[in-house]
This record gives sequence, structure tokens and C-alpha cells, in this order.
Amino acid sequence: MLNLKSVAGALVATAMSFAPALAQNVTVVTPYLAQPGTQMFVEGFKAEAEGMGWNANIVDTAGDVAAVISRIEDAVTQNVDAIVINVDPEQIAAGLEVAKEAGIPVIGMDSGASPLLQANVTSNGYAMAAETSVYVANRIAGKGRVVMFVFDPFPPVQIRGVIADAVFGNFPDIEVIDRITPDVQDGGIADSRAKMEAILAANPEPGSISAVWAAWDQPGLGALQAIEAAGREGEGIVIVGIDANPQARDAIAAGGNFEASVAQDFVGIGKATAGVVSRAIKGEEIKEDVVYVPTVLITTANVGE
Amino acid sequence: MIRTLKLYGTLIGFVTILVFFSVQLPDTFLTARNLLNITQQVSMLAVVACSMTLVMVMGDFDLSVGSMASLAGIVAALLFSMGYPISVGIAAALLVGVLGGVFNGILVSFFGILPFVATLGTLTMFSGMAFFTSGGKTIFGRDIPTEFSGFARSGLELDQIGLIGLKLPYLSLVALLVLVVVWFILEQTIFGRRLYAIGGNQEAARLAGLKVRTLRLCAFAMTGFGAAIAGLMYASRVASANPTQGSGLMLDAIAAVFLGMTMSEEGEPRVLYSLIGVLILGILDNGLTQMSVDSYIREILVGAIIVTAVAFSSITKQSR
Repeated sequence: MLNLKSVAGALVATAMSFAPALAQNVTVVTPYLAQPGTQMFVEGFKAEAEGMGWNANIVDTAGDVAAVISRIEDAVTQNVDAIVINVDPEQIAAGLEVAKEAGIPVIGMDSGASPLLQANVTSNGYAMAAETSVYVANRIAGKGRVVMFVFDPFPPVQIRGVIADAVFGNFPDIEVIDRITPDVQDGGIADSRAKMEAILAANPEPGSISAVWAAWDQPGLGALQAIEAAGREGEGIVIVGIDANPQARDAIAAGGNFEASVAQDFVGIGKATAGVVSRAIKGEEIKEDVVYVPTVLITTANVGE
Repeated sequence: MIRTLKLYGTLIGFVTILVFFSVQLPDTFLTARNLLNITQQVSMLAVVACSMTLVMVMGDFDLSVGSMASLAGIVAALLFSMGYPISVGIAAALLVGVLGGVFNGILVSFFGILPFVATLGTLTMFSGMAFFTSGGKTIFGRDIPTEFSGFARSGLELDQIGLIGLKLPYLSLVALLVLVVVWFILEQTIFGRRLYAIGGNQEAARLAGLKVRTLRLCAFAMTGFGAAIAGLMYASRVASANPTQGSGLMLDAIAAVFLGMTMSEEGEPRVLYSLIGVLILGILDNGLTQMSVDSYIREILVGAIIVTAVAFSSITKQSR
């Protein structure tokens, strides 16, 4: 009997010595895995997680936000090393509080900031607006009349307008002739087109409008339609947008007035999220509440890549 | 032997799942905290499944419960955002639930439209109303009073019974209350027995002098009421309201009632068995997440278990 015990003990000891270092468990919870952007976040995250030898559990709740809370509770019960979310933190605060109580770090992957998160990893809206407004200022050699399309009611878009205001304001010869908030009920293209048609009618002189700066792609596309419909595409009006959606990329590739937009690096956001998770797991206190991932200016030079 | 399997197959499956997770997750599954979590996680589904049982005992369906849950959440949140007190928002949402249920009942019992078709139509209508009234947006943030969202985050302290630091969530309590009420209605009242009589043979029930139309109408109204309760619970849990957020509840609720039906001798829905169905679904989600099983595999498994249970039950029925 005694013998048996010691044999068992030896066996256990041998097994333990061969066991690999305990892998970290990280759970990613999102209701939006069906969306292309989220898939790219997750792709980037998984690639990094594999490199670090983590067990990454990707949980998709198929649009169900309450289920995100439930799955966070489960991950906390399971005592994972970290949790990553891709959903508005305000709606899942109930789950985030449970994680905080258990001392498990939660990192947002383009989720919006919240004091319940260690950090949120996303693109810098300020920097994106700076890219396109400076592009416009340089293209028109710091001189001319500019139309702005903004949307101040939506905070992530509002900050873009603030930066463009500052950039254009810094050029004494740039005049912002209109600052338009389009109706976005129909997606923003149709109403922006109508607004742009009115501006073109009010400024009939060729060259009286130098550029259109749009806080996101749709108003820029609407303005492009208005300019083309008015037969004024030859005046060299420069249009820029932000987000680089497929329609904007097509317009840029076509080589017309729509010259530039800014693309977020979705895969990069996923990778950077893994980087923040790794820091949080090591117990580092993450001071920056928001971690920004660089964006890419898309022009005819790189739109095909 | 076959009879035992038929009656207890699903129950055996349920116990097997419990044992499986207890073995696989020895440190975390059978803990008071996790079990309390599960009761909270399934609370909304439990309320919808219990109210769904009311119409399913008559052999009817209500496919509109999910969109009714969304609509109720939106109605309450809109009123909150307009500055009305919480009680008004909740009362209005519940009223919308009853009215929607009555409307379903009228279509089914007075116009004689098949419940599947009638409630498929109202599913779309309620969903459209939720989108229209909210403008398609999620209502959240300052519009939702903290007392309302706080409800889903609090519960009865359990320190006195030795579970230090744990709470019995209020959402679980609401679900328990609905369960008791539905159980009482179905099992302890004449009204409930009449609903079962309609399910047994509607024509015979009518000939026996039952007011079949009124009874069906009442049952549908109660189901709508239950769906609205679930919608409010959901909105409280996510501190927001979105025009699609309840849509996942309908199919899960029907699945839970079906799972429950495999356990009853006559193949009838019974509310306590529906609860077992709900628990099977909820525990699978909870345990498989903890075991890090891929969410899509989880869905396949859950579907397969439902099909297996129902298939098993109908095969054993035929061989009787």
C-alpha cells in the first residue's frame, strides 16, 4: 500500500515536471463577429495571441448584448487572465463590474472608453482629421475657399471637425465658406449631394470652390456626385473623406475629384490589443486609457494595395 | 424500459450535462457564485419560455415574443428619455405587451388565422414599431436612469445563509415569480386546465361548452405581458434599449418548451419542464464558455441536443 502511494507520488511529480508552463487564458467577447471590421480585429488579435502561446477563446454572441454580460461572468468564473471586448462598454457595465471585482483586466478593442476598462485600443480620430485637412491645405497651396461637411451630434465625428477647423484656421488665405451638417437618415450621400448642389449654384464662378473636406466618406461621395452632375469636375475641386470605405476607394481609384481618405488599420488594432493584454497580464498598470493605432492615408498612390 | 427512457431521457441528459461540467470544471462549475450567475443569465429566457408555455399548452405558438420584448424595452427607454418616472415607463411597456398580446389573440381566436402566420405578421409589425419609435437607434447612457439599470445589478444579500458576499439577483427573483405564477395558473386553476383541454382537442373543448375564443385570447395576452417583462429585464441588464435586442429570445424559448415537452408523459408542455429546458440551454452556454469551446461549435451542439431529445422522444412514442 505504502509502495503504491509512493509510486503514485512519483508519477504525479514526473507528470508535473513535464507539464508546460501554464498558458494564459484570454477570452474575447463580441456580439459583432459577423461584421468585417470585427473579423479583422479578431484576426490580428489571434495572430499575436498564438505567438505568445495564449489560449484565446473567441466568443460571439451573435448580436446579443445581454449574452456578452453572461459570457464575461463565465470568463470571470473560469478565472481567465484577461478579457477583451468589442462592444459599447456602457451597455455591458454589469459584466465589467464583475470582472473588476475579481481583479481581471478587461481591454477594449475599438469599444469606446470606460473607467471600467484597463484601456481601449482604437484609431485616433483627431489624427485622421489632421491627415485629410492638411492634405487639402497642401493640395490647394494654402489658399482657397473650402466647404466642410461635419456631424457634431456624434462625438467620434465631432472631434474630426474640430481638428479641420484648427488646420484651416491656421492658413490665413483659406476661407471656410460653409460648414454643413447633412441629414444622415439615408446614409448621408443623398442629402450631402443636395446641399452641395445648392452651394455650387450659389458659387457659379469656376474656381470659386477649391475643396470639400468631409468628416466621413459619404458626404464626400455626395459632393462628388453633385460636382459631376453640374459638369464642374474639371475645376480641380479637391474632395477628401475619412474611413476609406469601398465606395470611397473606388472613387479614389477612378482618379477624379475624390482624392483621399484615411483607412483604419483593423488588423493592427487587434494586434495592438494583444500587446496591451500582455502588459496587463504582467501586472503593469496601463496609464493611457486609450491606445491609438496609426491610420493610413489612402490616395491614388496606394489605393490598389 | 423504453417507457422509462422516454419519460426520463431528457432528465437523464440534463443530469449528465451537470455531472459532465462538474467533472470538467471541478473548481468553478458547482460553486454558489456560478449557479447564481446561471440563474441570472437564464432569467429573461425563463420568463419568455414560461409565458410561451401558456399558449403552447393549447397547441399554439407566439413567434412575436422576441420583437415584443424589444418593443417593450424601447417604449420604456423612450419614456425615460422624455423624463417620465421609472414607474410610468415600466407600466407603459407592460401595457404595450398586453395590448400586443390581445391583438395576437384576436387574430388567432376571432379571425381564425393560424398562430404561426398571425404571430409571424405581428413579429414584423412589433419589430417595425420598435425601429420606428426609436429611429433605429440604441437608447442608452444618460437616458436610462441608474435606478433602472441598477435593478439588474443588485439582489438579495445572502450573507445570512452563509454565502458571504453573494447576492440572489433580482432578475432571478423576477423569473422565479413569473414561474410560480404561470405554474399556479396552469396547474392549479380551472382556467389552466381549460387551456390544456383546448390543447387536447379544441373541437371537443368547444362542444363541452368552453369559451375557446376568450380563453385563447387571454392566454395570448398573458404571453405578451410576459414578453414585455422579459424585455424590461433585458433593457435593465444592458442599461440600454435597442430595437433588435430581444429577437434571440423567441427561438430559444420555443426550443426550451420543446425540450420540456419530451419529459411529459402526454407530450404536453408543462411549465416546470420548460424550466428544465431553459436550464439545459443556459447551463450549456455557461459550461461550454468556461471550457473555451468555440461559440459556433456550441451552437451546433445545442441544436443537436434539441433534435436528439425530440427525436428520441418521438421514436420511443412510436414504438409504444
